[in-house]
Amino acid sequence: MLLSPNRMGGGRFVLYTIGALVMAFLLLPIIFIAALSFGDSRWLQFPPPGWTLQWYRDVLYDPRWIDSILVSAKVGLVVMVLAVLLGLPASFAVVRGRFFGREVLRAFFISPMIVPLVILAIALYGFFLRVGVNGSFLGFVAGHLVIALPFSIICISNALETFDESIERAAVICGASPAQAIWRITLPSIRSGILAGALFSFLASWDEVVIGIFLASPELQTLPVRMWSTLRNDLTPVVAAVSTLLIAMTIVILAVVAIIRRDRAR
Amino acid sequence: MSGRAPCVVSLRNLVKRFGATTAVDNVSLDVGEGEFLTFLGSSGSGKTTTLFIVAGFEDPTSGDVLVDGVSILDVPPHLRNIGMVFQRYTLFPHLSVFENVAFPLSVRRKPKAEIEAAVTDVLRLVRLETYADRRPNQLSGGQQQRVALARALVYRPRFLLMDEPLAALDKRLREEIQGEIRRIHQETGVTVLYVTHDQEEALRLSDRIAVFSHGRIEQIGTGSDLYNAPRSAFVGGFIGNSNFISCTVAEGGNDRCAIRMPSGQICAIRGSSPMATGQLVSLMIRPERIGLSTTASQAGPDCAIKVRICEATFLGESVSYKVTTEWGQSLAIREITGKSQDVPLNSGVDAYARWHSADTHIFAT
Repeated sequence: MLLSPNRMGGGRFVLYTIGALVMAFLLLPIIFIAALSFGDSRWLQFPPPGWTLQWYRDVLYDPRWIDSILVSAKVGLVVMVLAVLLGLPASFAVVRGRFFGREVLRAFFISPMIVPLVILAIALYGFFLRVGVNGSFLGFVAGHLVIALPFSIICISNALETFDESIERAAVICGASPAQAIWRITLPSIRSGILAGALFSFLASWDEVVIGIFLASPELQTLPVRMWSTLRNDLTPVVAAVSTLLIAMTIVILAVVAIIRRDRAR
Repeated sequence: MSGRAPCVVSLRNLVKRFGATTAVDNVSLDVGEGEFLTFLGSSGSGKTTTLFIVAGFEDPTSGDVLVDGVSILDVPPHLRNIGMVFQRYTLFPHLSVFENVAFPLSVRRKPKAEIEAAVTDVLRLVRLETYADRRPNQLSGGQQQRVALARALVYRPRFLLMDEPLAALDKRLREEIQGEIRRIHQETGVTVLYVTHDQEEALRLSDRIAVFSHGRIEQIGTGSDLYNAPRSAFVGGFIGNSNFISCTVAEGGNDRCAIRMPSGQICAIRGSSPMATGQLVSLMIRPERIGLSTTASQAGPDCAIKVRICEATFLGESVSYKVTTEWGQSLAIREITGKSQDVPLNSGVDAYARWHSADTHIFAT
């Protein structure tokens, strides 16, 4: 390579510095939040004058936070399952289907990623008010499903596109019915794509806040919504602790996705 | 089909149209028990589409496919009991070699012991018994196709379809696996319908070859039939090397007739079909059927034309010449070394190219 770091001599230290700065720019807010969550200053003083786990204790002993974590997890899991169950047939349609308007349909499926969230949230709010699911579990699941589906469809249809249809044909000519071929051959072959789609769908719901704010009721609040409303009343390190937990959860899920990807590449 | 061995597969006037294009155009043929029949043709000639109709992946526009005399068009592909090896690698990526080969038996709900014995047997047949626990991505391309062949044979299908199974392999490996396929065909006696665009592969493997062009079968016969008695200029040009000379019929006749070469010279030829005087025809001669001599008197009785040697290449067992005729056309000639005293001739020398009328083929143009 022309621009190999080894050939650049002293110039490469400039490159390393730029790299380090970019990394710092991306990581500092996270490190900052994590540090604050362990700091013993009530007023989010930085650097923290001392260290404590008190804020984590506050989170774990406050039923409202635990409630919100459970609501978020339940909504996320249901959204994940539904996103895969709907994403699978949708992916087969846009990858395998031979019908007029297929590309339009594909674009439509990922349009929730393009439409500004606020607009989506207002529209859902208006619609859900009318059908009476606002502030309900069903409302959260339906709202989050809209933004999770594109992730599921993109992951699964990418996996399906790289899967050679001849392999499925081979299974059929071997004596498997089309349903058996899909169940025993195609789905296991694209399982890493399905799993990645499932995890991304969960994440899309897990850290969603805009739609959540519109749909939330006093009885039902997802974790990000609870954080947002807490912050509006009170700047407390408890929110930093919750944020750190949220980030940790996200990192774990992304690590799982990365490990699956690596296994597939091997 | 009375009086002949029963046909395993019969194609009856198969037609397949995709929109305005006709991919398969009125194809009929019969495949006998244990026969190895190859569809030979360039890409887009309809050979693969025909195979896919037999497999059930495509429905014909019209016509019928009979297996043992019964139409299978209404039978879905997974119930047709056909084995198939594909051009691309189609082993199931998440299953081991053993599980891949066991798959057809497992969907047929065979008992475990029977599956185990059958898979072991067929893996031994393709000489991969020690690879049973490997994953497909741990095998070479040739090994993968051998496993695919084992998977297609393990359930003893009525016959086997092979769609250019060696196309993705390099030449050396291709020849090795051609040998394997021949051996396996002889050992199992399975009836095979094979598709390839490689004439050498077709000649090496097949009992009979059907030459496809533009969705039609141009000619069907043994390799030597196609080589020695091509029925059309297309088949003559497709199988082996050949020279084509545009001529007009000087004297029509049923048995022997004469044609006028581009130089004006009249040559007697073997008349394969009745021709009218003045008709434009194409004269075909194989390079190894043309002899070279330095004098006209040495030329054979039938025809001798004056040529100039352009290029002489010594190839050991033979010498390959490129010569130019009086009218400027280039001809290929191949002489067996030592057959004639005159060889090797040097380039730039004038000579006579001669041939027997029996070695020529005439095609209407």
